[in-house]
Amino acid sequence: MANYLENIRPKISITQYRIALRVLIETFKGIKQAGIVNIFIIGTMAAILMIFGAIFRTSMSLSSLVNELGNVLEVSVYLKSSADPNQAAEQARQLSHVKRVKIIAKENSWENMRKDMQLPNIKNPLPDTLHVRVDSQKNIKSVADNLSKQSYVEDIRYAKDISEKIRVISDISHTATVIVLGIVGFLTMFIINNTIQLVIQSRKKEIEIMRLMGVSNWFIRLPYILQGSLYGMMATIIAIIPLSFLQGYIMQVHRFLGIPNSENSYWAMIFLLFVLSMIFGALGSLLSIKNKLKT
Amino acid sequence: MINLRGVNKKYRNTYALKNVNLDIQKGEFVFLVGSSGAGKSTLMKLLYREELPTSGNVYVSGVDVSKLPDNKVPYLRRNMGIIFQDYKLLEKQTIYDNVAFVIRALGVSSREVDNRVKSALKIVNLAHKMKSKPNELSGGEQQRVGIARAIVNGPSLLIADEPTGNLDPQTSLEIMEILDKINSRGITVLISTHDHAMVNHFRKRVITLEAGQVIKDVQAGTYG
Ligand SMILES: Nc1ncnc2c1ncn2[C@@H]1O[C@H](COP(=O)(O)OP(=O)(O)OP(=O)(O)O)[C@@H](O)[C@H]1O
Ligand SMILES: [Mg+2]
Repeated sequence: MANYLENIRPKISITQYRIALRVLIETFKGIKQAGIVNIFIIGTMAAILMIFGAIFRTSMSLSSLVNELGNVLEVSVYLKSSADPNQAAEQARQLSHVKRVKIIAKENSWENMRKDMQLPNIKNPLPDTLHVRVDSQKNIKSVADNLSKQSYVEDIRYAKDISEKIRVISDISHTATVIVLGIVGFLTMFIINNTIQLVIQSRKKEIEIMRLMGVSNWFIRLPYILQGSLYGMMATIIAIIPLSFLQGYIMQVHRFLGIPNSENSYWAMIFLLFVLSMIFGALGSLLSIKNKLKT
Repeated sequence: MINLRGVNKKYRNTYALKNVNLDIQKGEFVFLVGSSGAGKSTLMKLLYREELPTSGNVYVSGVDVSKLPDNKVPYLRRNMGIIFQDYKLLEKQTIYDNVAFVIRALGVSSREVDNRVKSALKIVNLAHKMKSKPNELSGGEQQRVGIARAIVNGPSLLIADEPTGNLDPQTSLEIMEILDKINSRGITVLISTHDHAMVNHFRKRVITLEAGQVIKDVQAGTYG
């Protein structure tokens, strides 16, 4: 008895290993005890995670689409037929934020077009064109405005409109991701918290006895925390199945649009799902432990 | 082994213990008696740190239990055996598991667990019932499981709060004899009881509480 405080010193590792094993056994006992409820919890969580994963993954693709379009820093300038392309190009080069100007002679454009399409043998209706390269996305509008004021310019065109629209969609989907993330976190914690509270309630006497017999608090608690994160883990594994179909579909769209595909986004999503669900699961358990167990 | 110094315990406005001073030496066998509400359970709860004194000091093996931080409490309890009037067994688990779970949680190897559980069950004469569940046992047998669980980790102090409160005289005597046998191995035993006949039969030290105060403390005493 006199030496009971000596037990506080760290134990040897084989003992720790056995304790860890015991904690795992206790965890699985808890899961087994939950019975049919397990299916409900994991199913519900899987559905929530799947929705979150889908939104997250789509949002990532929209981001890369916006980036890709944002990289199109070119303004097409259609010249008046009276203008001299070389002179116009020289003047365009003087404008600020213009990096490079390339002349596309109307003969070349016409040839290209005829290669692609069946066209009647008419007189070339196309104007001479300048491809004006702007130094960065944020200056593209001012350069475009500037160009359209020039006397030699008939019309201009650049990717601004579509890029803006997709940017808006992308912003919305980012916001949605954050909101859904909040909901996922809340629901996960809510579900796990309630489940673990029930489990603790049904094992109240057992826990009390363990406490009185000198079983450590963390030994009593750890199984519940593990149970919470195991639910998260299993729900993620199930959610991955439909999400991998979505991934396949998104990859097709990427290929179709010629936007670099993002294998990494997929793994990032899976990693995020595992981490989030397991952390929120553990937090849900912690919450019920705080409510139901005294120290 | 146990030293109480000026211990007061107040629940809201009632004093459960009033200025209690007490010393129990290693290896003693002590009966704690007194009418209902006298403070027996409260005194025991202070020893295993289920309650804290309102004032005063409670020493167990020289350590002031009232100053022990919460996270050290399990270490205190592992070195004492606690026995309850209502046995406090895990209904769904076998007798063997009921005795084993505490030392399993301490990381004792399965073989060592097996040795210790079987020898503890042998001491209480229940080795043959280890595969049964608590509800298949009589009250006396259940309390013997409680005793086996209390001694399985080799404590130096045994605290029993009315261990025979739910048992008939014959069974009570068996339980007391087991506790006496354990005491003869050098383990300090503190038992609270209302059982006059028992106290008179064993002729041990008797501490009498009344309204939270020690009013009598005699060696080889009788009840009352
Ligand atoms: N948790 C509590 N809250 C408030 N009062 C309490 C609490 N526990 C005990 N008491 C009071 O403290 C006094 C002593 O109680 P205690 O349980 O120690 O008595 P006891 O001697 O064990 O009685 P019994 O022989 O009936 O078990 C009683 O007046 C009781 O009502
Ligand atoms: Mg009592």
